[in-house]
Amino acid sequence: MSKKVIQSRKSTSGPVENSKKTVIKVTDLHKSFKLPTERAAGLKQAIFNRLKGIKGYTEQKVLRGISFEIKQGEFVGIVGRNGSGKSTLLKLLAGIYTPGQGTIEIDGTLVPFIELGVGFNPELTGRENIYLNGALLGFSNSEMTAMYDEIVRFAELEPFMDAKLKNYSSGMQVRLAFSIAIRARGDILILDEVLAVGDAEFQKKCNDYFASLHGNQTVILVTHSMENVRQFCDRAILIENGEITADGKPEAVATAYENLWSQG
Amino acid sequence: MGIPRVLCRKNRVLLGELIKTDFKLRYQGSILGYFWAILRPLLMFAILYIVFAKLLNFGNDIPHYPVYLLTGTVLWNFFTECTGQGINAIISRGDLLRKISFPKWIIVVSATATALINLGINLCVIVIFALINGVSPSFSWLWVFPLILELYAFALGISFLLGAINVKYRDITSIWDVFVQALFYAVPIIYPLTMVLNSGGSFGQFAAQIICLNPITQVIQDVRYNLITDATITTWSIVDGFARAIPILIVVLTLVLAALFFRNRSKYFAEEV
Repeated sequence: MSKKVIQSRKSTSGPVENSKKTVIKVTDLHKSFKLPTERAAGLKQAIFNRLKGIKGYTEQKVLRGISFEIKQGEFVGIVGRNGSGKSTLLKLLAGIYTPGQGTIEIDGTLVPFIELGVGFNPELTGRENIYLNGALLGFSNSEMTAMYDEIVRFAELEPFMDAKLKNYSSGMQVRLAFSIAIRARGDILILDEVLAVGDAEFQKKCNDYFASLHGNQTVILVTHSMENVRQFCDRAILIENGEITADGKPEAVATAYENLWSQG
Repeated sequence: MGIPRVLCRKNRVLLGELIKTDFKLRYQGSILGYFWAILRPLLMFAILYIVFAKLLNFGNDIPHYPVYLLTGTVLWNFFTECTGQGINAIISRGDLLRKISFPKWIIVVSATATALINLGINLCVIVIFALINGVSPSFSWLWVFPLILELYAFALGISFLLGAINVKYRDITSIWDVFVQALFYAVPIIYPLTMVLNSGGSFGQFAAQIICLNPITQVIQDVRYNLITDATITTWSIVDGFARAIPILIVVLTLVLAALFFRNRSKYFAEEV
């Protein structure tokens, strides 16, 4: 276990007593990736490079000293251009990547949806996929059973749960995945890109749901839609070149984001 | 991190789900389904039996030679299936690793578990064959379980070690394929060890001893000894003193070193895979 990551996972279920409690604290977070230059993805090349003293990669700094805190019940939007480091930050929060430097402290259970329907298998039935997806997110069978009916109801897929996923339409698949995402009970919900899926009616349902979350659920949302930021978020963070360049009211950050292009 | 943390409920649930999924999907879309798990080694056995026992007259001096042969084939298949799946486990689940965080060892163990289930089914087949062939049941049969555990530990160790390297250097899959081909002939599966012993004076003796230091040989011969006939040459009977412990030491060392290496590397799998 790396000493740099402190993840206390005290469960904080139940009504919110102190809504000002900090649930995520990120301090001076750095992350860089090694990008292979010459093809270094082979044993021969690796030995060759070592013999010749070639490093075989260039270091790309993706995050350069990110610090922020998120309080319980906050709905935070993270915005930025492609390649600015948003997704890397999300993956670090989700524990998928290891920080290069700095610390991440998380209080509570964190349910990450970097992508919807992770681990979905077309050959399994809808029901089996829900349980598999749940297990991947760290839920036990009994927890999943408790959530199951609600997930299916929200997805409006009651008659199809014993059909294989490959026989679902793509709209149905994404509805199922999305329903798991929003019905999974965790203290902190992390979403990448997606807020509303499906047809107009289902999208409205999703939007209503997110509007109803206000103040109750901690949500971190990565998005390119300033409409969503203005509509749902209490706060937004703008990331440029791996650094936070704006943090505050959604309206101000959304405007700053839109101005990125007008400045050229 | 101790054993209790590693086997916490969350991990057990996930392991169970992944094993269930793998097993369900294994024979998806085939008419004979799970039956293939039995049929494949039986067909393999039939080929070996016809070629080696009937055409080449191997194993005339060993009682119940067909069962003897079947046992060797089944255990060997288990080993190759286990390592084959285990070494590629991390890579084939790469999409999962990049999107969700969970203990990586679960992937390797779940990938090898199908092989373990298949072995269980095949053991039942072996027992039925043994009884038909006139082998009388005895308590020494129980030795089979710790021996299989040893073989599984070895396969798991190799899977952890090579699987972790394989993430970065994909050559490992190909190298291992060739290596396993060679290894097949270094283990007395199709030929009886007596053939090596009798092949020529002190060199034959030496070669047989070396072959017996391989943990796979040790397990296969011990299983045959306990299950079928004590006319089996085992590591214990052919090497002396400290050398008898070498196969076990190889297994333990491989597993421990592999586990440490795997734990160290697993932090970076999501970036590298």
